[in-house]
Amino acid sequence: MQLQGVIDAAVAEIARVLLGKEAQIRLALCCLFARGHLLIEDLPGMGKTTLSHALADVLGLSWKRVQFTSDLLPADILGVSVYDRNDATFSFHPGPIFTQLLLADEINRATPRTQSALLEAMAEAQVTVEGERRPLPDPFFVIATQNPIHQSGTYPLPESQLDRFLMRLELGYPHPRAEREMLLRPQAAAGQRQVLRQCIEASQLAAIRKAVGQVHASDNLLDYLQRLVACTRQSAEFAVGLSPRGALALLGCARTWAVMHSRGHVVPEDVQMVLPAVAAHRLVPSGDFAGDGLALVALLQRSVDVIRP
Amino acid sequence: MIQDQQVPRNALAWIILSLFTLVAPHAARLPVWVLAVYAIAAGWRIMVYRGRWSFPGRRVKLALILTAFLGIFASYGSLLGLEPTVALLLTAFALKLIELAGRKDAYVLLFLGYFICITQFLFSQSLPVVLYSLCNVVLVTSALVALHRPGEHQFNRGSMRLAVTMLAQALPLMLVLFFLFPRIGPLWTVPVKSHTAKTGVSDFMQPGDIAQLSKSDAVAFRVQFDGPIPPRSELYWRGLVFSRLADGAWSSLPYYAIPARERRAAAVTTAAPPLQYRVILAPTQQHWLYSLRYARSSTPGVMSSADYRLFFPQEIEDDTLYSVSSWPRATLELQLSAWRRRTELSLPPGSNPRSRELAQRLRAAAASDAEFVDAVLTHLRTRGFAYTLQPPLLDGTHPMDQFLFRTRRGFCEHYAYAFVVLMRAAGVPARVVAGYQGGEINPVNRTVIVRQFDAHAWAEVWLPGEGWVRVDPTTSVSPERIEWGLEQALQAEGSFLADSPLSPLRYRRFAWVNQLRLRYDALAFQWQSAVVGFNSERQVQVLGRLLGEFSAAKFAALLLGTWALVLLPVALALLRRRQVPQLSALDRAYLQFCDKLAGRGVARAPGESPGRYAQRVVSALPASAAQVRQLTATYCDLAYAGREQTKTSLRQFAREVKAFRPRQ
Repeated sequence: MQLQGVIDAAVAEIARVLLGKEAQIRLALCCLFARGHLLIEDLPGMGKTTLSHALADVLGLSWKRVQFTSDLLPADILGVSVYDRNDATFSFHPGPIFTQLLLADEINRATPRTQSALLEAMAEAQVTVEGERRPLPDPFFVIATQNPIHQSGTYPLPESQLDRFLMRLELGYPHPRAEREMLLRPQAAAGQRQVLRQCIEASQLAAIRKAVGQVHASDNLLDYLQRLVACTRQSAEFAVGLSPRGALALLGCARTWAVMHSRGHVVPEDVQMVLPAVAAHRLVPSGDFAGDGLALVALLQRSVDVIRP
Repeated sequence: MIQDQQVPRNALAWIILSLFTLVAPHAARLPVWVLAVYAIAAGWRIMVYRGRWSFPGRRVKLALILTAFLGIFASYGSLLGLEPTVALLLTAFALKLIELAGRKDAYVLLFLGYFICITQFLFSQSLPVVLYSLCNVVLVTSALVALHRPGEHQFNRGSMRLAVTMLAQALPLMLVLFFLFPRIGPLWTVPVKSHTAKTGVSDFMQPGDIAQLSKSDAVAFRVQFDGPIPPRSELYWRGLVFSRLADGAWSSLPYYAIPARERRAAAVTTAAPPLQYRVILAPTQQHWLYSLRYARSSTPGVMSSADYRLFFPQEIEDDTLYSVSSWPRATLELQLSAWRRRTELSLPPGSNPRSRELAQRLRAAAASDAEFVDAVLTHLRTRGFAYTLQPPLLDGTHPMDQFLFRTRRGFCEHYAYAFVVLMRAAGVPARVVAGYQGGEINPVNRTVIVRQFDAHAWAEVWLPGEGWVRVDPTTSVSPERIEWGLEQALQAEGSFLADSPLSPLRYRRFAWVNQLRLRYDALAFQWQSAVVGFNSERQVQVLGRLLGEFSAAKFAALLLGTWALVLLPVALALLRRRQVPQLSALDRAYLQFCDKLAGRGVARAPGESPGRYAQRVVSALPASAAQVRQLTATYCDLAYAGREQTKTSLRQFAREVKAFRPRQ
């Protein structure tokens, strides 16, 4: 109960700056609680950065932002050892990745080499520079953004890399009413931004994560989840189905979602709520299917019944 | 063209394949050029598929159609009649292939294919033909299935597997329809078959005719006796009675040549229990039926003639089943009318003087007509007469003089001819009877198979106090013919079936060939009597036995009821297979709950979760909100929250669901 109050407060706080996007805010928090990384795919100016700032503020995390370009090198992210003339030693200058929340802007502009350096760090929660392992801070959370159009001169993330992101979100245009409210607000001066109150303490975050591990997933629910996964692997509409990692991600997010709604067990609604964000970027439609990942997820949800096998 | 409308390569292959298998059984009846049209059409369509040629233009098509009509007319001399119309249909079928562009054309072609499959039955309804057309139906259905599987570029058998499954599912329905569907008489007259030369006994007989028949091993008819089968020397299947001799040929009396009062047979007293049997006669294109001596038939439509034969008013164009009762010992026509006596004694004036002289000499020596008959038979036995399939030709005005005094070699018709001439010359009424003698007894199903080579001619003599008596002069010359059959009688000569080296009858000495042949024949008999012979009368009989009094309502109820009975198990089996994992009691109860709500117009959408559904129901049926919420919560608790599913909790939930009445 207490945890839900905290979470609701955090959502409300973020909603102050990102109007009318509560669902996406909740999903982003869910992703974070589930120790996953988030990929936001949307046009510029839709509030991607605002969301990541807000998340960092609310959770009281340190955060850094890296603008990815085609000449960005792995060292630019991970850090370099610099020769210190005074001590006659090499001292390590940590890169921007040594932070709790990293905003990797336009990740598809960087070369695959740089992308993979980041993705490796995301997977292992540590970096290896010049043979030395350096652990990343905990929590470590990456929000990568990607521009879905203007693809020329970019290196789109391959499917195998997309799988590393727990969720992919699209923010979308705001509701006209929310937009009107935003327009009516006094605009902050350039270079300034509204700093949000920290709502979730580190201990509370740890408590949430602990609670996630204790959520019960019944046989009925696992049956449903497995039917979903099997459907993506067997139906003709899917060229690539959900991997076992995808299935785990789905269950993990559903569990987190259950905690966020103060339930000790997962119900099918939890799975269905997180399904588009978790599954859409992992599924590839086959040639016969005229639609993208989201359409596939909708089809999946319609064709797999919750109860009837 | 849209991809949906194209004919996939796989389907095209199936279509061309079925095209050829459909035309194959007709090949023997078609002019060769029609087959050439098939080859050209298939070649053309394949070239179109490969992009080398193009579809024909409108003018070319018109020219092709006209040519087809002209060709059929040139080949058959007519566009009407069964064979020309079938040939025309088959030609059009081939031409349609050339303009097979989209899926619509393929439908037309394939549905026409089913129809062409049926046209086979206009010519034959035997078991192999039926099996073959079943294969054709499978092929055409495979093509239809393949038509709906776009993107299959490799020719494969997948569509055939599905087609066979579908047809197997249709099988029970086919049986129901076979037994129950009303046999509706033809709404219009089907053009009759052209009278191509059918082998069989004809209504006039010249020396050499029956010998000609003996070259054929085609089945003339099959007989099934109810009781034991009489010995084969008693099996004289009477078909025709020849009373008139003119121009060296025997012929039967035309109906109108008989005076009106003579047209009915004299009454026959029948005391002994009759022989009961059923005959399935192969099409003869003639009227008369074959039966043992003194026969009556209970089959509707069968009539009796004055000379104790059975006949049908119509020509026999299909396999025909009739049942007969026979009294072989009955006495026939004790009193001979003056007209009848005159007819049965008449001989062409001035013919065969030496034979007449011989007859009168023998009659003078005999004390009675019966003794005279014996004397003639002795004469035939002792004067070096030979039984042969290859008799020398008889010509001139006195053929019997030539036969009796010079050649002395002949087949049964020679002996019957000579015998009757001798009888009549001596003033004994006599006539030639044509039909079949003997037959092969099939031990598998105890039927007698009578073939064309069993054709025979013998004589009947009228003796005072005895009536008409059968006399077979051939027995005097060749007793083996009657005791054992034609093969044994001609063993020395080696002329039995000399013209048909492949006939299975020639290989009877191999036991397994013979066994196989007899088993097949038994099956064919079964087929003919049970399936082909199941006409409207039999159907009404069978249904009458089942239903009692016959009424349209009862019949419709039976038809629909049986359909349901046949289709329901299939449907249930299919449904069952679809939900192999059984639902748990909990889920069943919940689905029952959903059904109740669906009855109120709020059905659960596919894939909708219980919680969402409950929200929707609550807003739609606010009166039941509390109950719906409570039941959904219980279900979710049991299904997802890990609450233990005890028997009591499940039963409790099921009871609550049962008691639940959704309100608007």
